[in-house]
Amino acid sequence: MMERFRKALKTIRPEFYRQKNKLLNPYYTFSDYRKIWAIGITTLATAALVPLLVVTVIHYRLIEKSVDSELVLRTERLASNARRAMTFFLEERLNALRFTVNEIRYDQLANPDHLTEVLRNLKLGFGGLTDLSVIDYTGIQVAYAGPFKLEGKNYSNQVWFIECQKGNFYVSEIFRGYRDVPHIIIAVKSFRPDGTNFILRATLETERLIQTLSSYKTGAYAEIFLVNRSGIIQTPSKYYGDTFEKISLPIPDYSQRTQAVMERDDQKRSIIMGYAFITTQIADTPFILMVIKQKAGMMAIWLKLRANIQWFVGFGILVILIVVVITCTFLVNKLYLADKAKAETMALMEQNNQLVSIGQLAAGVAHEINNPLALINETAGYVKDLFVIKELYHKDEELIESIDYILEAVERCGRITGQLLGFARKFDVKIQKVNLKDAISDVLIFHNKEAEYRNIKVNVDVPQDMPEIVTDRGKLQQILVNLVNNAFQAVVSGCILEINASLAGPDKVSITISDNGCGMPAENLPKIFEPFFTTKERDKGTGLGLAITYGLVKKLHGDISVESKENEGTTFTVTLPTRIQEVMGENEDSAG
Amino acid sequence: MKQYHLLIVDDEKRFADMLAKRLTLRGCNCEVCYSGKEALDLLEGKNFALVLLDLHLPDLYGTEVLTRIKNFDASTPVIILTGHGTEKDRRECMLQGAYAFMHKPLGIDELMVILAKIAEIAA
Repeated sequence: MMERFRKALKTIRPEFYRQKNKLLNPYYTFSDYRKIWAIGITTLATAALVPLLVVTVIHYRLIEKSVDSELVLRTERLASNARRAMTFFLEERLNALRFTVNEIRYDQLANPDHLTEVLRNLKLGFGGLTDLSVIDYTGIQVAYAGPFKLEGKNYSNQVWFIECQKGNFYVSEIFRGYRDVPHIIIAVKSFRPDGTNFILRATLETERLIQTLSSYKTGAYAEIFLVNRSGIIQTPSKYYGDTFEKISLPIPDYSQRTQAVMERDDQKRSIIMGYAFITTQIADTPFILMVIKQKAGMMAIWLKLRANIQWFVGFGILVILIVVVITCTFLVNKLYLADKAKAETMALMEQNNQLVSIGQLAAGVAHEINNPLALINETAGYVKDLFVIKELYHKDEELIESIDYILEAVERCGRITGQLLGFARKFDVKIQKVNLKDAISDVLIFHNKEAEYRNIKVNVDVPQDMPEIVTDRGKLQQILVNLVNNAFQAVVSGCILEINASLAGPDKVSITISDNGCGMPAENLPKIFEPFFTTKERDKGTGLGLAITYGLVKKLHGDISVESKENEGTTFTVTLPTRIQEVMGENEDSAG
Repeated sequence: MKQYHLLIVDDEKRFADMLAKRLTLRGCNCEVCYSGKEALDLLEGKNFALVLLDLHLPDLYGTEVLTRIKNFDASTPVIILTGHGTEKDRRECMLQGAYAFMHKPLGIDELMVILAKIAEIAA
């Protein structure tokens, strides 16, 4: 599995990442491709991703803000509605009591039977009343109608009684009282004809109130309840404390208007808190209406939207990164390949230049040597003439032999300088159609005798359908002569020499000349086309043959390569274009 | 052997003299001069069966001398004999009508073969 993964990675990894090309050292290129790659990816990715992320964050914030303000607004509206209901509920009952004390005289109200009648009518008209009682100005309860036996009780030192004496109306908070049942007291003060006052008090069940409030509740994450002004919870709350306990939220500051604010509760949940201080037109109340909405619950739509945005942005980032990486990799690889090709060309050019400059030097030397050589030649020739033609000392064979040595040496020097000049000289390209098979047999004519004599078998294989190539016949033949000569020198009696030609592409032919002779050690192969490189004995070669051949192949816009194994043989492969383009002006040589 | 009347033009004095001696030994009638101007002067006065002309002369370049010889008498065969000749020179000389373009050092026998050919054509 690991192996497969590594293999896959290898095919994905671009060439510039995979290998360090020896040619692409700082001498040829200043580019660190991995660095360029990394910079490219970083820059492109940053340029593409930063705006995307910025826009996303801005968008995100905007939506969040608008969702928040929408939630606040809705909470406020809900609180406002609930407040109106609550105010109405209390006002209605206070008004009912006020109506009762104004309509019915004190002595009638003080009559428990009549009071029971009144209670029954009030229960019928408004509901939610538990009992009614009449308390005189001293705080003694003079009449009571309801389920409990409370006649004669003294309320004079109770808060509600004192408050009601002061302010004419009173609404209590919810409390348990003697009966241990949550209830609210509302009380209305009225005056008797004699100028003393009395109070009509009613006890309200909280059931109705709680029902009214919960009818405004919307959804599982909202709750509506009452607290008093010191933060004691009055009606049941699900999350923020039990009834008659202190609320776990901060108590809002007094405000006449309904308010809604963003808050965090004691469990760090984000909430929207709507609140309203309940005041009726008749009397103030101790209640604060609380509407609490849990933001998380209310934000389902927003959360869904947010998830969508996150998915979209995530997918976008992924696509951008993939595109950026692919693009960068592709471009840097292109750059790498171009640089590699350039470096290879440069290396080749250097090699060529080396050959050319060696050639030029050699030509210069050859030129300078030729004149003194000519003089030696003529002088020695003249001395010999004196012996031979004038017949002086012509019997002294030793002298004549010595002169011959001089002449022979001069001839050899002449041959070397001639070859050197030939190497440097740019030949005319005489382009014509050449049949490879004919060209090869023409060359072999010169070697038939030698092959027969040395028992060397020469096999030529040129396919019948081999097309004629357009090239310089003279140079081609010279190339073949040199390579065949080379092969003949490498083989011993009984060896085989193979000459094959084949198509090496739509516009290339290759000619291979292989022998099974002595071969060459690998370390000699790179130097083989350099001038003066020879492995033959001193007298046998000048070391120019293959250098000249190399130059000739290059002039025909071809390539030559060599493979060799010591004691197994050597193969030269010459690749030539099927159609050579004549380059004008190439044949000019500087006047020497 | 038939008497060839030859002119050798070469600024390498010893070479020219030595070549003259050798050709004389082989039955030629040689004259030697060491500059282009001299050669042209001599050619104005006499007919030569052949001119052996070096390219690198101190006053005139060999091709220039060749051109003037050919302007003067196109039938005079001229063999260029040079130690420095380039392919460009060779082409130019052959275009100007040189009979042959030979490199130094040269084999005397080779030269004699060419002389024989010229004589054949002349006859």
